[in-house]
Amino acid sequence: MATPKRYAYHVEAAALELSDRPRRFLEAFAAILRHGSYNLALDTYARMSAKCGRCAASCQLYEATGDPQDIPCHRSELLLRVYRRYFMQSGPLKARIFGGFTLTDEYIDEMADAYYRCTACRRCKATCPLGMDHGLVTHLARWVLAEVGVIPRALVVSVREQLDGKTHNTSAIPLPALKDTCEFLSEELHDIYSVDIEYPFDIEGAEYVFFPAVSDYLMEADTLMGNAAVMHATGASWTIGSHNYDGINYGLFYSDRVMERIVHQLVDEVGRVKGRKVLVGECGHATRSAWHIPTFIGPDGPPVVHCIQYAHQMLELGKLKLKPEKIPESVTYHDPCNIARVGRITEEPREILKAICSDYREMTPNRTKNYCCGGGGGTVSIDEIRGFRTGPLGMRKADQIRDTGAEIVVSPCANCKKQLRELCQDNGMEEVQVMGLHDLLLKVIDFGTDGGNGAGEAHEGDEDEESEPTAAGAASSGDVGVTASARSGAAGGPDGEEG
Amino acid sequence: MNTWLHLARGPLFWTALAFMVLGLVRQLGLTLWETARVYRRAGDKDLPMGRVVRETGSWLVPVRHFGKRWPYSLTTFVFHVGVILVPLLLAGHVELWRAGLGISWPALPNVVSTTLTLLVIAAALALVLERAIARASRALGRFSDYSLPLFIAVPFVSGLLVMHPTWNPFATDPTLLVHVLSADVLLFLVPLTKLSHMILFPLTQLVSEMAWHFPPDAGSRVAATLGKEGEPI
Repeated sequence: MATPKRYAYHVEAAALELSDRPRRFLEAFAAILRHGSYNLALDTYARMSAKCGRCAASCQLYEATGDPQDIPCHRSELLLRVYRRYFMQSGPLKARIFGGFTLTDEYIDEMADAYYRCTACRRCKATCPLGMDHGLVTHLARWVLAEVGVIPRALVVSVREQLDGKTHNTSAIPLPALKDTCEFLSEELHDIYSVDIEYPFDIEGAEYVFFPAVSDYLMEADTLMGNAAVMHATGASWTIGSHNYDGINYGLFYSDRVMERIVHQLVDEVGRVKGRKVLVGECGHATRSAWHIPTFIGPDGPPVVHCIQYAHQMLELGKLKLKPEKIPESVTYHDPCNIARVGRITEEPREILKAICSDYREMTPNRTKNYCCGGGGGTVSIDEIRGFRTGPLGMRKADQIRDTGAEIVVSPCANCKKQLRELCQDNGMEEVQVMGLHDLLLKVIDFGTDGGNGAGEAHEGDEDEESEPTAAGAASSGDVGVTASARSGAAGGPDGEEG
Repeated sequence: MNTWLHLARGPLFWTALAFMVLGLVRQLGLTLWETARVYRRAGDKDLPMGRVVRETGSWLVPVRHFGKRWPYSLTTFVFHVGVILVPLLLAGHVELWRAGLGISWPALPNVVSTTLTLLVIAAALALVLERAIARASRALGRFSDYSLPLFIAVPFVSGLLVMHPTWNPFATDPTLLVHVLSADVLLFLVPLTKLSHMILFPLTQLVSEMAWHFPPDAGSRVAATLGKEGEPI
C-alpha cells in the first residue's frame, strides 16, 4: 500500500493518522526534558541566542538555497519557541500579556520538514560565538517528533528489523547468507592475493568484536576484505558475533530511546562472545554511536576502537607491512562528520593515505571544518529526497571534489560513500571513484605471499572492460564485481537501506 | 532637575545595579547547578575539558573566527571592547566609585575613553545597519536585535556630550539625566534579555558539550512515562 506523502520524505501511514498531535508532542517533550539532560542547553540557548546569523555562512544548505528557513539559527528557533512558551517559567506569562504562539499541527509539520533538511553535521556550531549546537537541537527535535510518529519510513523500517526482527540487523541479512558472503570474500582474497583469510565467527574471548555497517556486506566488499586483511596481517584476535553483526544505530538520527536499545544490543553481543573491545568498521555514525557506550553502559563498557585507528596503530608499530608500490591514482579524502567534527579521527586516515598513495590531495576546507557529504543525519537512506541531497544539500561537496581533480574519493563511512557516489553521478562526475580507506589499503598490504598485487588479477576476473588495470582501478572494478556477487548471496534487506 | 538627577544617580542606580547583579548571579547559579546535575546523572563522565576551554578561549578574543564576514565580526568585537571598558574604566566613573564607596582602580586616559566611546557609537549604528543589510541576519532579526544596540548607544552618546560640553547642543543637566537614566534602564535589561550572555558566555561551550552526556536510562524512562514500554517499533 502506498504511503500518503505529507512531507518531503515518506512516513508510515499510522503516523499520519495520529490525532491530537500537539498535546502528544508536548507530553513527549515534557517527558524527554524530565528524564534527559537537554534543559540546560535549551535554557541557555533560549536566553542568549543573539540571532547574529554567523551560522548561515557556514551552512552548506543555506549557501545553496539562500532560504531563511535553512539558516541553522532559524531552524533551532522553531523548537526553542515551543520550549519558551511551554517549558520556561516566563512562557505562560508572556503568552497572556503579548498573546501569540500556540503549538499546532501545522507547526509540527513545519518542524518535521525543517529538521530533516538538516544533516546535523554540526559545522555551524564552530561558527556560533555563543557555542549554540544546532545539531543538538535537530537531534532533540527529531526525537520529540519521533514520539508523535514523524520518522522517515526508511529509518524506522530498518530499526524495526534491527530491534524486533528475526535477523537483528538493519539490512535483514540472515546469518547463513552472511556466512556465505564471508566465504565468498575469503575466496576472493585467496584468488587475488593468494592468502588464506577467514572471517571468524563467535570466537570466545576474542580481543576485538567486529561491527561494521551491516550494509557493507551487501555493498562494500572491498572494504570488508580490507578489514579482514588488516586483522589477518597483524595477527589480531577478532571475531564477528553471529547474533549481532550490525554497527548501524539509526537511533542517533532520531531517538535516544532507540539509540539506547541498540547500544545495549551491541554490548550484549560483545558480552555473549566474551570479547574485550568493540571494533567498529568504516562507518561514521556507527562509530559515534559506539562512542556513546559509556553513556548507556557506564565506564565498565567495552572500549571502542575504530578500524582506522587500529590500522594506523599497527602501521606505526610496524606490524602492518606494506608493499613498496603505491596507489598511482590521485586520491582525496572526505572527512565523515561523525568522526571528524570534534577532531577525534582526522590525522590517522591522512597519514595512512599519504603512506600508500603517490598523489594525495587535500580538500578545502577539511578536518573539523569539512563540509558534510550531504547525506548525513540519516538522510542518505531516504531515497525519495535524492534530488535534494545531491542538489542543494550536496552541491558544496561536489564542488570540493571537483576542485581537487582527484580520481578517487576515499571516505571511511558507508553513508558518505553512498551519498558521494550518487553525488558524483548526479553532478557529472561519473568518472570519480568513491571507496573506503581499507579498499585501498588492501591493495598495498604485504602478505609475504607470492600472490599478485590485486590489480591485475582483480582486473582479470572483472567484467568491466573499461577499468584500468591498476591497483586503484582494480579496487573499483573489484568493487563492482564482488558487490554483485555479495548482493546475490545476502539478499533480503527490507528496503535496501544502508548504513 | 536636581531631584531627578539625584534619584537617577542614587536609588534608581543602586536598584538597577542590584537587580542586574542578583539577576545574573541567579542565572549563573542556576546554570552551574544544572550543569552539576547533568554531570551527576551522565553515564559518560569523561568530558573533553581541553577542547571546551580552548573553544571558550578562542571566542573571548575571536580574531581567528572573523572569516568572510570580517567587517561584521570586527564591528562586533570593537563594540564589545568599548562596551566593557568604558563604563568600568572611564576616569569619571572611577572617581564616582571612589567618592561613593571608597574603592578605586586605574582609569583609562580620557582620550582613549573618548575614542572608544566614538567607536561604540559607530559600531552600534553599523551593527544595526549590517543586520538590516545582510540577508541572513535580517531574516533572523527580532525587534530587540535592532533596538538593543541602539539603546546601548544612548548612554554612550549622552556620556560623550557630558564629557565634552563644547560638543553638546543641549543643556548639561538634561543630558546627564538621559545618560544616567538610560544606563539604569540598561542595567535592568541585562538579566532579562540576551545581554545576559555577559555572565553566561564562559559556560556556553561547556553547556553544549554537557548536553550530549545523557543519563544512561533516559530513553527507557521516557518510554515508561509515555506508556510505550515494550511497544513494538
